[in-house]
Order: sequence, then structure tokens, then C-alpha cells
Amino acid sequence: MSVRWETEGLQTVGIVCLVIMFLKLMHLLGLIDITETDNSDSDLELSTVRHQPEGLDQLQAQTKFTRKELQSLYRGFKNECPSGLVDEETFKTIYSQFFPQGDATTYAHFLFNAFDIDRNGSIRFEDFVIGLSVLLRGSVTEKLNWAFNLYDINKDGYITKEEMLAIMKSIYDMMGRYTYPCVRDEAPSEHKMDKNRDGVVTIEEFIETCQKDENIMNSMQLFENVI
Amino acid sequence: MAAGVAAWLPFARAAAIGWMPVASTPMPIPPQEKTKGKDGLIILNVSGTKFQTWRTTLERYPDTLLGSTERDFFFHEETNEYFFDRDPDIFRHILNFFRTGKLHYPRQECIAAYDEELAFFGIIPEIIGDCCYEEYKDRRRENAERLQDDEEMDMSNDAPPVNLTYREFLWRAFENPHTSTLALVFYYVTGFFIAISVMANVVETVPCGVLPNRSKEMSCGDRYALAFFCLDTACVMIFTVEYLLRLIAAPSRYKFMKSVMSVIDVVAIMPYYIGLVMTDNDQVSGAFVTLRVFRVFRIFKFSRHSAGLRILGYTLKSCASELGFLLFSLTMAIIIFATVMFYAEKGSTASKFTSIPAAFWYTIVTMTTLGYGDMVPKTIVGKVFGSICSLSGVLVIALPVPVIVSNFSRIYHQSQRAEKRRAQRASKEAGRALVAKAPSPPFESQHNHLLHCLEKTTNHEFVDEQTFQANCMEISVMNKSGSRASSLSSSPHGLSSCCSRRHRKKSSFSLPSTNNQELSTIQIRERPVVNSRSSLNAKLDETVPLKCDKPYITPSMVSLSAPVVTSSDGHGSTTTTAYSQSNIVRVSAL
Repeated sequence: MSVRWETEGLQTVGIVCLVIMFLKLMHLLGLIDITETDNSDSDLELSTVRHQPEGLDQLQAQTKFTRKELQSLYRGFKNECPSGLVDEETFKTIYSQFFPQGDATTYAHFLFNAFDIDRNGSIRFEDFVIGLSVLLRGSVTEKLNWAFNLYDINKDGYITKEEMLAIMKSIYDMMGRYTYPCVRDEAPSEHKMDKNRDGVVTIEEFIETCQKDENIMNSMQLFENVI
Repeated sequence: MAAGVAAWLPFARAAAIGWMPVASTPMPIPPQEKTKGKDGLIILNVSGTKFQTWRTTLERYPDTLLGSTERDFFFHEETNEYFFDRDPDIFRHILNFFRTGKLHYPRQECIAAYDEELAFFGIIPEIIGDCCYEEYKDRRRENAERLQDDEEMDMSNDAPPVNLTYREFLWRAFENPHTSTLALVFYYVTGFFIAISVMANVVETVPCGVLPNRSKEMSCGDRYALAFFCLDTACVMIFTVEYLLRLIAAPSRYKFMKSVMSVIDVVAIMPYYIGLVMTDNDQVSGAFVTLRVFRVFRIFKFSRHSAGLRILGYTLKSCASELGFLLFSLTMAIIIFATVMFYAEKGSTASKFTSIPAAFWYTIVTMTTLGYGDMVPKTIVGKVFGSICSLSGVLVIALPVPVIVSNFSRIYHQSQRAEKRRAQRASKEAGRALVAKAPSPPFESQHNHLLHCLEKTTNHEFVDEQTFQANCMEISVMNKSGSRASSLSSSPHGLSSCCSRRHRKKSSFSLPSTNNQELSTIQIRERPVVNSRSSLNAKLDETVPLKCDKPYITPSMVSLSAPVVTSSDGHGSTTTTAYSQSNIVRVSAL
């Protein structure tokens, strides 16, 4: 009796196997389609997003660079980003390569937001060049304005303690782990900037504090001859 | 990515202004930028083909020839351009490296020529991009193997040294039968006796007819026992003598005794001696009969005579992993199918599938598509699974076979190449002689003077081949190339062979980690695995020291560039900037 059960069972198994193989063969031949997964190949479209910058004359009017400098800048920019746009990931990658021992992605994120004036998620050449013009050829006040804009993460006109802490942390992150002496938590330097102790720093307080500090004033002039 | 990254450096520095307000200490002074010339176009004339690029493009890599002031040596005032007497096709790739930061390897170029150009322009081959790196490494390895084969062949085919001891002479005779007629005779005699011995073993078992006083058929071995015994004795005598001679002549006896061929030799002659020693005891004679099986191992002695057999053995050894995989998958499949067949056939009456191990035989026979027919399934289910078994068997066996075949083909062609090269040697020598016929006299005398200076510097002397080999057995590469250089003194080929040998013998050179320009210390994060490929100026991990030492710097310079360069580069740095000093070291350490 048990022998009969065994053969019956095996026969069932055999038939099930046969049916499955038959179905697979049909699917292979394309006669029936039993898969649920959609073919993602059709979704792949070439990203044809491209951006051409404004004319050289307009850019010359908007920034303080000479024509030759703009040409040289654009060549470097285009070499790295042939489509004319830098998205945040690329920006982070590029910036991280200058700081291999640490993690520069957070600071790069803040930088990206500072450069991306119209907040559309990508930096165009105009944004790039305008930002650089401020940094390299602008007056001290303009530079301080730019720095304030950088620290003000949510762009509401006030730097809160959390924002300052975040910026400080991101800068220290770029150092990495292997530093001497070891990185400790820094007391936020917002205290010295927040004159009226209301917990936030406004643009006037910021500029005033920085203008009083010799070191900061000197260091602002440091990178003038970069280009 | 390096070139692009370099372009963004000014941006990164400008963005550092963002740190200023929160900085706790004063900033350091920025490095003094040396007065950069205006970014103009540079014309590079390479053997007539003009290339143009921006000056800043070239200066992205200041430790190469084009990126540093070293290119000033190639400036041609009359035409206001930089002239290089090199290959323009390969130069195109080098210039693209400056432009895009990625070095590519063109497949149609010869690897040695490409390496030379890279070395000339001061570019490390390790920065070749991922797309071309594998191909480059493969070609290089192939070339190295080829050159190594060449060298081995040179070393073995050279004129026999005069003062070998008898032991070494004997060993050479055994290993390479073409060296003397005696060796050749010995080689053929042993081959003949191996064949005789194997055939005797085979014929021994053939039934030879019935003797009058016996009822059953006797084998030839029993009938002519004495004759076969004499033949066997003669063969074993020869084999023993051969083995003992090889043992005596071997340079390292221990290593010889461990080698495969010697083990085969021993196994081939042992049964005879054991048979002599043992008495006609019934118990042990059973074991003795088994021992006679080992006499068939004599056939493996043929592998000394046949290169094809050796190749086959070598192939199987190198495909061990594929064979292992084949075996493993077959075992798995056998067990599965044997189990299934056993349970499928359990019901049928008078089934041959009495147990699972009994079903193993059926599975093996079916999977290898033999199909003896001594065990056949009778139930329908059994037949279904039996057919699935045979189909899967074909697949499983067919999978590793192409790998083994391609391995065999590669090794076989390699050995064929050795033969081909031997044939080509004659024509190559003739060609070289032709080139060496008409040297330009000033070049030759200057070159000789140079070599003479070199001799004086190192307080050694160049000697020719015979006397050198007579003096010491250890043939070092440097001396040999030195002697070659003196014999082929007039032809630049002698020098290029010197350089090519140096290329071959070393794998990389350690770079000085140098200057304070920020560009050079950028490490590219994308490839953290292999440090040596990332930054241009970092110390390479594989700091294999140069096999050739200082003295050979100057000859290489002569062959690569105009003699004008030699005088300024070879005698240390006349310029004072740090990196050009290191550049000189690097370029001349070819």
C-alpha cells in the first residue's frame, strides 16, 4: 500500500515538474507572458538636460571678472561638467576630492545651497561665476554677506544656534579622525556674535562682529589672487 | 578626474572664505604663486604633426616633461614651437591625458613602444584608466613572458661553456639532448627501450595457444616466461642505470628526487626488484601481481621525449579548479538523480535499482550519455526522470570543457612560439647585422668614449661573452647587456635592448614625494584600493628598487634624446627648483 502511495506521489511530482517546464518554455518563446516585473529598460532615457550659459558680455557685466578670466573659468567648468549643470551629488564628489581624509559632504551641501541662488537643485555656470566673483573680487561687506548666506541654512535671515553648530560640525568633519590634537566639541562661537542675546544672529550683528575682528578681516583678503 | 579636479581648485580655495568667520586662529600665508605666464597656446611639433594646447592644460601635471620647465629644452627658437622627435600617433594619447586626465592605451600600438613614450614624457603607466588598464596589463605580461622565454632560450642555446665539470656536463646532456651526439644517442636508446618494455607488458597477456600437456589456453607470458624475463631484465637494467646517472648528475639531489619524473622512474622499476626479492609465497604473490600493474607507468617516461604530453599534463594541472568544479557538480547531480531514480523505481517489480548506490551506476552511465543498457527504468516516472538526467548530464559536462580547451590552446601555442622563435632567430641576427653595418662615425666614437667614461666611473670593465662566462657562471643581466652594448656598440639597438631589459626586470620605481603644490598631493578617492594608481606624486606602495643601478643612466639618455640633452641632464641639475631636480632623477631612472 505504501509503495503505491510513493509511486503516486512521485507521479504527481513528475507531472508538476513537466507542467512548470512547459510554461517556462512558452515564456521563453514569447508565446505567453507571466512575469510581473516591468522591463525597466524602456524607462531609461538619455538625460538630455543641457544648459548654455548667457553670453560673455552679460556675464562680464554681472561679475567682476575679465573676459579672459571668464573664458578660462568656463573651459574648466565645461571640462568637468559637459552638460553645463552641476547637480548636488557631483558637487559633493568634486569637493570631497580635495579633502580625502575627512568627510566633506555636509559642508559641500551647504556650499551647494549657497551657490545655487535660485534653488533649483543644480548650479549653472552663471551661479558659479557670480558666486566666485563675490568671493574673489567682492568687497569685504559682500564677502561677509555671502558667508552669512552660507551659514543661514534655511535662508530665513537669522542664524540660529543649531545652524551655527551644524556649520561648525561640518567644517570639523572635513578634518577626519586623524588629527592632532583630537577634535573635541567646540563651544559655539555664536555667543560672541549674538549681541542682544536673543538666540539668533542677524546680518547686522554678524557683519559688525566680523568687522571688529582683526583676524577675520585679514583672512578675508587671503584668496584674492586665486584666479 | 584629476584634470577636472584641478580646474576646480581655485573654486575650492575661494570657498574657503566661508570658514573665516568661525576660524579660531589666523590663517597661514598663501603660497607664493610663481609668476604665471598668460595662458597662451603652446604649439607642440611632434615629428611634423602639430599639436596645440593651452599652457595651463600642460601645467596641470607639473611632474611630467611637458608640464615642467623640462620642455624648454625642446624649444625651437626659429619656429617658436616645441619640437619632439617622437611618434606622433602615441603622442596623441599622451596629450589627451593632459586634456582629460585619463590615460588610455591604444590596442594597436606595440606595448614596448608605448611604454617607452610614457617613460620619455614622464608619465607613470599605473594611471591608465580603468577602461584600458586590463588590456594594458595583459599585453605587458604577455610581452614579459615572451621576452623571458627569449632569454631562457638564449641562455640555453649559447655556446657551451668550456670548463664545466663532468657532473654539470652530464646534467646538461640529460636535460637537453641536442647538445651533443652522445646525449642524442642516449635519448633515443632510452626511448626505444621504453617502447619495448611497454609492448612486452602488453604482449605478455595475449593468449598464445595451447600447450599439449595443458588444457586451457596459456598467455604468451607464461609460455615464454624466460624470454620475457630476460627482456624485462634488460629494460630495467637500462632504466636503473639511467636513473642512477641522473641522480648523480643532478645539481640538487633532493630536488631531483622530489620531482615528478623521478618518482615515475622509481615506480616503473620497483616492481621488478620487489619481484626478485620476494619468494614464491602464495600470499605475497597476490600482492606482487598487483605490483606488476605499476609497470605500465613506464609509459609515462615518454613524457620526457614528447613535448605534447608535457603540455597536456601542464594543462590539466593549470585547469585544476575547473576540473574540480566539474567533479563537484557531477557528484551533486549523481546523488540527486540516483535518489530520485531509486524511489521512482522502487515500485516496479524486479527492479535493478536495489539501492541508491546501485543507482549511482545508472546515473553516471546516463549522464555521460554512455547508456550501457544494463539498468533501465521501467516506470513512467522513472523514464521521465531518466530523460531529465541525461539532458542535464550533457549540460553539466559541456560547461567546463571550453575553459580547459582554451587553456590547452594557450599553452600549446606558447610552446609553438618557442619553436617559431628559434627559426626566426637566424633572420633576426641577419637583420641586426645589416643595421649595424653603417654607423655614423661621430656617433660611434662618442658612444665609445661614453662607455669608456662609464667604465672609469664604476671601476669595472666591459668584457665580451666568452671570457665573462668563463669567469663566473652567474650571468647577471647588467653585465650581459653591458657586453652586448660593447659588441653592438655602433647600433642603437644595443642600447634599446639594455633599456628594454631594464624595463622588464623592474616593475616600478619609487617616486620622490615632492613639492608643495597642492595639486600634486591630491589623492583621488575613487580608487582607494590601489594606492599606486591614485596620486601622481605619492610614493608607490610597491617600491621595488631598480635592478640596474646608477651607471646605466647615461646610456639610456643617449638613445632616447638628442645628445644635447645628455650633457645637461646627465650631470645633475643645473636648475634650482625642487621638482625639476626630482624630475631629472625620475626621467633618467629609466
